[in-house]
Amino acid sequence: MRDEDEFVAFAQGARDRLRRTAYLMCGDWERAADHVQDALIRVYVAWPRLTRAGREYAYARRALVSVVLDHARRRSSTELVVEADPGRPADLDIAELVSARATLLQVMAELPPRQRACVVLRYFDDLSVADTARALGCSEGTVKSQTARALDRLRSVFEDSSLGELTLGSGKW
Amino acid sequence: MVNEMRALLHEAAATPPADDIDLAAVLSGGRRRVRRRRARFAGGLAVAVVGVVAAGGLVSQGADGRDTPAASVVPRPDGPVVRISEARQAKEGVDYDVLSSYTNEDLDAANGQYYDGVTDDGLILFRDGPHGPENKIRYALLDPATGEKDWLPSMGSADQVWPAELGTDRLVLTSTQPDDGADLSGRLRAHVYDRSARSWATVTWAGLPDVTGLRSPVLGPDGRLYVGVPATAGSPPPGGWPMGPDGEADDAGAEGDTYDLWSVSLTDPADVRDEGLRVGAVAFTDDTMVWSARTNGKNDRIHVRDLVTGAEHDFDPRSGKRCNLLGFGALDDRIVLSQYCGTYDNGRDDRIQIVTTDGDLVTTIQGDGIDGWVTGGVVKVSSYDRNRAGTYVYEPGSGRFARVSEANSSYGLGGPVPDGYLLWDTPVGEAAGPQEPIPGATQWLARWR
Repeated sequence: MRDEDEFVAFAQGARDRLRRTAYLMCGDWERAADHVQDALIRVYVAWPRLTRAGREYAYARRALVSVVLDHARRRSSTELVVEADPGRPADLDIAELVSARATLLQVMAELPPRQRACVVLRYFDDLSVADTARALGCSEGTVKSQTARALDRLRSVFEDSSLGELTLGSGKW
Repeated sequence: MVNEMRALLHEAAATPPADDIDLAAVLSGGRRRVRRRRARFAGGLAVAVVGVVAAGGLVSQGADGRDTPAASVVPRPDGPVVRISEARQAKEGVDYDVLSSYTNEDLDAANGQYYDGVTDDGLILFRDGPHGPENKIRYALLDPATGEKDWLPSMGSADQVWPAELGTDRLVLTSTQPDDGADLSGRLRAHVYDRSARSWATVTWAGLPDVTGLRSPVLGPDGRLYVGVPATAGSPPPGGWPMGPDGEADDAGAEGDTYDLWSVSLTDPADVRDEGLRVGAVAFTDDTMVWSARTNGKNDRIHVRDLVTGAEHDFDPRSGKRCNLLGFGALDDRIVLSQYCGTYDNGRDDRIQIVTTDGDLVTTIQGDGIDGWVTGGVVKVSSYDRNRAGTYVYEPGSGRFARVSEANSSYGLGGPVPDGYLLWDTPVGEAAGPQEPIPGATQWLARWR
């Protein structure tokens, strides 16, 4: 019998954490739930291999990143990926934003999907550069450059507002 | 003031709304994906089908006597059998002539351009997209002789569409607008392009119940679209599907699904007809309608209706007891059934069974990881077996069986073609990993000799 008990136990344990990651990547709780559902289906298909290898959560997170980026690609073709320009005047009406958290989420929503994924994986999931690269299926150099661009953009918005400085905070990496 | 990003991110995700992730849908979608992971069907867009069927309990309950296949060796089907290994190599210039090809180098990074089928007068329906924030699609009719494209006016829809008719007078593309996305069912729409007026019209039918997006409508010889309205859906046995020797869930011998058959006019939105038939899958020839009793599961009955006289008969196709009917088509007086019949110690038992409309067994193509469907007046077989991968052609009339290519692309590409044409695709580039798709694909269009 394909061990659905083990898969269900894993899915029940992982769903909440995955959903939070998905939410920060896509900015919508409902869509995040859909993304997690799609990612868990991919995990189910690969489950017999994964349980032997003991890398279930890493695979699930990679599947989730793939689902989110696929969805973003379908929503706006990557033929013309528009990189956010750190030098351009912010579109945000900072005065209307009531908190640093809301500002962060709004600026993240404007980031290209891969930059946003880098920020979430590095500073929410607390992954190393190498693990982030594995989750995104790209080089470590790409993670570094994408993260740096994202941080430039986020910091510039904070600096231009009355919210003050944006730091990374303490983490493992 | 100092704002710590890590803390802000954790605060932002700290209070999620109630979790509405449906694990039952995950399980049923996963089971379906496992079952159909190798079964691709011709279609215009890259296929990413997450089927949702009625789910059983979330937790497996253990053995129910079905945990292991009945035998460890792939059984021999009734009647004449052709193995995939018996195909000879097709030769360009002898078996076929390539008319045109198109390569997308990296479909994993972005959508590209596609051959979505061939019109009855030999023009390629060429699709560009979807692209951009609004998922815009452009269509052209491409003359394979000159390479010239005649771009059509905008269809004005971002729906994922499937060609139902590519005629000399009109093009008919259909789509299903999901109501809530949960079960992929929704309202059927047809986008009809008048080739002489160079204009699109969209037709919907208020009297038609929701249809499933998992099955494409079929155009009948009377010009009506025949669509299945979901009626019954099979469910896994108590305790879930047994695991096959390959470690995957093995749902051979599944209960199957049925649909209530309706038909609609492409010119009159008020013309909607309940055909009063409960069917599995439906196909047409010029003068017959054939249907199975069930699809996506065991099927033991094929029905044939003479469209001229109205006479009907039915028969047992003598498919294997564990055969799930996954693909269904008709060609002259032949009926083609693509089936998955279980996994054994020596491989998967996949079959393409060909029977006459009287129920005589013509032949069964058997292989590990194959599927087939009727297109262009032949049976196009796709093999995913590492050693015998590629596209094959079987001619039911002559028995000619030839291998056209030695690899498949990672994408579901293609569309309907008139008799005598063949459309297939091959991979381009290298996959980044064992679970990753091969990024590029070339589509080939040929005349089959």
